[in-house]
Amino acid sequence: MDIKKAKIRDLRKALDNKEISAPELCGEYFKKIDEKDGEVLSYITVTKDKALKDAENAQKLIDAGKATALTGIPLAIKDNICIDGVKTTCASKMLENFIPPYNATVIEKLNAEGYVLLGKTSMDEFAMGGSTQTSAFAKTRNPYDLERVPGGSSGGSAAAVAASLAPAALGSDTGGSIRQPSSFCGVTGIKPTYGRVSRYGLVAFASSLDQIGPICNDARDCAVMLNAICGHDRHDATSARVDTPDFTEKLGQPINGLKIALPKEFYAEGIDDTVKKCVLDAAHELEKQGATLVDCSMPSLKYAIPAYYLIACAEAASNLSRFDGIKYGYRGEGRTFEELIRDSRSKGFGEEVKRRILLGNYALSSGYYDAYYKKALALKQEIIRQYDKIFEQADVILTPTAPTPAYKIGEQDNDPVKMYQADICTVTVNIAKLPGISTTCGYTADKGLPIGMSIIGKRFDEQTILQVADAWENGFVPLDAKL
Amino acid sequence: MAVELKTIEHLCELSKLDYDEDGMKKVMGEMSDIIDLMDEIKSFDLTYDDTKDGNEIRFGDTREDVPEKSFPTEKLLANAEHTDDCYVVPKVVE
Repeated sequence: MDIKKAKIRDLRKALDNKEISAPELCGEYFKKIDEKDGEVLSYITVTKDKALKDAENAQKLIDAGKATALTGIPLAIKDNICIDGVKTTCASKMLENFIPPYNATVIEKLNAEGYVLLGKTSMDEFAMGGSTQTSAFAKTRNPYDLERVPGGSSGGSAAAVAASLAPAALGSDTGGSIRQPSSFCGVTGIKPTYGRVSRYGLVAFASSLDQIGPICNDARDCAVMLNAICGHDRHDATSARVDTPDFTEKLGQPINGLKIALPKEFYAEGIDDTVKKCVLDAAHELEKQGATLVDCSMPSLKYAIPAYYLIACAEAASNLSRFDGIKYGYRGEGRTFEELIRDSRSKGFGEEVKRRILLGNYALSSGYYDAYYKKALALKQEIIRQYDKIFEQADVILTPTAPTPAYKIGEQDNDPVKMYQADICTVTVNIAKLPGISTTCGYTADKGLPIGMSIIGKRFDEQTILQVADAWENGFVPLDAKL
Repeated sequence: MAVELKTIEHLCELSKLDYDEDGMKKVMGEMSDIIDLMDEIKSFDLTYDDTKDGNEIRFGDTREDVPEKSFPTEKLLANAEHTDDCYVVPKVVE
């Protein structure tokens, strides 16, 4: 069976029709991983032995006629999602040998479906970055151009799907970490509404912003994955008590009558002209399908980067204080308790993680708290208010996913400010707790690099953004990755 | 705004992080640039209203207080480098 760009629904059909067995299918993916991942470096850990056992169990369910949507489907999981007995490193030396004693809730839900784990994908260390180049173990490359970054922090997941090293994957998104790598790698990724998916077992970066979501070949597969992983969880106090709809329900429905807002600040200076044109061309195509385009404004976007980094780093400084080298994780040396902790943290964390801890403690420390952290919280409220205002006149919002296509490896390594500013198109969605999906809307003319657009919805209205993404994808011919 | 050495030293103390001399110089420069970016927020003229936040967590909606099986001790200790049926740390009191 040709697994190149295979969709979950294609694989489901092949498994149910006995064209291939679950163990054979995962074998096909491992063959491809063995052939290609030496170049892409999308996986940190490949779990062949576990996969074979999982696949044999899945095949029994299929043979008994008990298969559900993901039974026997091989998936990749970002390496910050805990799986019982499988190394979970967060791409950090700090957790190089950490083996979780429990499953994240999303893994329990996928297990209930009978999925097959291919392995754990690389990421920026502790999900802090937009390039996957801060990974301590696998600095992933973009399958469309191996000299370029795959985006991040879920760069391993996005690159694995783009290179057909997995049909779909889970990522996590704190400020764009599912959508931006999806954009760079020419795949489709959705960040659900905050609270839609349990965060239990996701190693925390910024707890008020983190959300797990799928990265797939298209919006239809994202809907299938969401059906499997959403729902209230008593282990997560921020998990929402809302009904979980069938996310495939509105797929294929016409979009005529839908209002699509285009906030002018997302198309202003700082956004690459090619990206701007590509997203606006897509907007006009959606208009031809019957949608109405609505001009609008989000003036607070100019403050979004400092607001996001102050909130995210403040939470990160607190969350990462648990890494002391005693209960788990890298252990340094020291004659005293204090020396032991300082040495463990100084040697266990990478440079970007340490910078963000310092910034977080700066924002929270006496004398700076009101000027920075509380101001950022005020901005969060203003961003939410401005989104609410836009949604009074529109059903969804359309923006570029990133200001540029994938850039060359090393280009932003020594400039953290430039790296932070590149998150401008995605961070407000996390701040406002909204759902957002990125899908490919075109390619650069010279190098064929993917360009992504983001469709942002009202809280808990993933169905409409999936509907719009699907409507776009139905008329779009994607280019395959060169690899 | 250039960040002073004593500010970085204070942040390192709060963060339980150490840098050597070169590392300290480098991080001072980087933090100065980053804080310049963060300073843009100071021109935003609104105040935070804490009565509008925190409604996602419903503390009145907790589970029944009944004992549940916890993680096996050996499984938890397996991730610690120094153990002797408990976590081993340097002496805190001489």
